[in-house]
Amino acid sequence: MSLHRKSRKYHKWLMLFVGLQLLTWSVTGTYMVLMDIDYIHGDTLVAKNKQRLTPEQVGYSFSELMNDHNKASNVKLGLLLNQTVYRFNDGDQKVLLSALDGQQLSPINEQLATSIAKDNYINTKTTVINVQLITVNPPRELSSRHLPAWRIDFDDFASPSFYISANSGQLVTKRHSYWRIFDWMFAFHVMDYIDEEADNKLLLVFTVLAFIASIFGLVLTYFRLMPQQKKRNSKVDNDLNKEVVDEKA
Amino acid sequence: MKKRNALKQSFIKFSTIKKLHKWLSLLVFIQLFIWLSTGLFFNLMDHEKARGNQNKKAITFQKVEHDRLVNLELIMSKSSKPVTEIALIQRLGKPYYLLTHEEGLYSHFKSDYSLVDAYAGEKLIIDDGVASKLAQASYKGKGGVSGIVKVKPPITDMLKERNIAWQVNFSDALNTSVYIDASSGRLIGHSNDDKRFVDLFFMLHFMDYPFLGQGSVGGFNNGQIIFFALLTFVFCLTGFIWVIELLRKGRYKFS
Repeated sequence: MSLHRKSRKYHKWLMLFVGLQLLTWSVTGTYMVLMDIDYIHGDTLVAKNKQRLTPEQVGYSFSELMNDHNKASNVKLGLLLNQTVYRFNDGDQKVLLSALDGQQLSPINEQLATSIAKDNYINTKTTVINVQLITVNPPRELSSRHLPAWRIDFDDFASPSFYISANSGQLVTKRHSYWRIFDWMFAFHVMDYIDEEADNKLLLVFTVLAFIASIFGLVLTYFRLMPQQKKRNSKVDNDLNKEVVDEKA
Repeated sequence: MKKRNALKQSFIKFSTIKKLHKWLSLLVFIQLFIWLSTGLFFNLMDHEKARGNQNKKAITFQKVEHDRLVNLELIMSKSSKPVTEIALIQRLGKPYYLLTHEEGLYSHFKSDYSLVDAYAGEKLIIDDGVASKLAQASYKGKGGVSGIVKVKPPITDMLKERNIAWQVNFSDALNTSVYIDASSGRLIGHSNDDKRFVDLFFMLHFMDYPFLGQGSVGGFNNGQIIFFALLTFVFCLTGFIWVIELLRKGRYKFS
C-alpha cells in the first residue's frame, strides 16, 4: 500500500476514536480563549468601596489582642461594613473581633452575611434570592478551605453567587454561570472530570493518538494539496470511488 | 457512470465540507502540532519542578512581645496617605505593621503599602539591602546573591505581577531568582530555569508571544489565539462530520 493510501486508512480509523476529543478540545479551547479571564473570575461583580481607617474607631489595641489571644497569627485590622474589626488565625480557625471592645463577632449570622455580600456587590439595587450556610460538602465551585461559608445568590444576569466566610466575614469566592461553564470546559479540555489535573493517563493516551492521527492527516494534506500530486490524487480518488460503486452495485 | 453522478449531486454540501477540511488543514497544522506537543508536555512534565520552588523554604516566625507594640495613633500619624487596613506581620523575624493604602482584589494586582516597625515605630523602606535579606530568608539553596535589580511590570518571570519588585538573583545551578514586592516586602515568588522552561511551553500553548499585540501577559485572551481557535474549531467540526459521513456510508469496515 502506498504512503498516501496508508495515511488515508490510518487517519480515517484513528479519527474514529479521537475525532470527538479533538472536536471537544477545539470547542472548550475556543470558549476559554473567547471569555475574558477577569470576567470569568467574577472580578467585575465586585464593588470597589474601601473606606479609610481612623484611630478613633479603635478601642481595643493590637497589644491587647495579642495578650488575650496569644496564638493569634496574621492579625489584620480592617473594616466590616462600617465597623472596625480584627481578623486573625487562631490555629486553623479564622476569628473576627470587634475593634471597639474586642468582642468576638464570628461566626456571623445570615443577616450580616447578606449585608456584607450586598455591600460587596457591584449593583446595589440587585435583590438576594437565596441564602444558605455551607459547613460540609461544599459545591464544586467552592474550595473546602473556605468552610464554613454563606452562599448568597443574586437575582441578576448569569446567576451570580457570592460566598462569605462565616468566620472572617470576607468575600472569599464569587461565581456565575459563565464561570460554571468554564469550569466544565476546562475539565473536558484536560479530560479530568473530577480533580481537573492535566497529568492523567486518559489525556496521555488521547494526546498521543491524536498526534499520530494528525501526522497521517498532514501526509494527506501534502498529497491532496501539492500541485504535482493532483494527477495521482485523481487516480487514488477514482480507485476509491470505484470501490464504493462496486460495493453498492 | 450515471450512478456516480447521482452520488456526487446528493453530497454537494459534503464536498464543500471536505474541501474546507483540506484547506484549513494547511492553515492550522503548525499551531495544531504546537498545541498537541505542548499539551503532551504539560501531561508528562514534573509538576513540582514546574513551580520553580526547589530552593524555597518557609519563613520562620518569632513570638511577638505584645507589650512592646507601639500604639495605633502613632503609626497612623506617620502615614500621609489614607489607610484602609493594618496588618501585624513579620519581616526578618521582627514584627511590622503593614499599612494598606491601595489594594487590588488579588495580591498580584496593583497595590500600595508601607511598613512601620511595630516596636520602634519607624518606617521601613524596602531597599536593595532589605530585599536581599528577605530573599535570602526564603532561600534554602547553596548559591550566593549575584545581583539585585528593581524591576517594573511586565516581569518576564512573573507575568501576572502588576507591582514593582526587587529581583534578587542567586548563583546556583538553576539560576534562581527571588522576587520581593518593593512596597510591602512580600515574597512574590521564586523562579528558576526549570520554571522558565515550562513558561516557554505555556507561551506556545497560549500563543502569548512577547512580540505580538499586547505582548506576553501570562494569559490566553489574545487576538491570535482567538483567530486560530475559531479556524481549528471549523477544521475539527468538518473532520468530525466527515467521520460521521463515513460511518453512515458504511466505510468503516475491517478488511
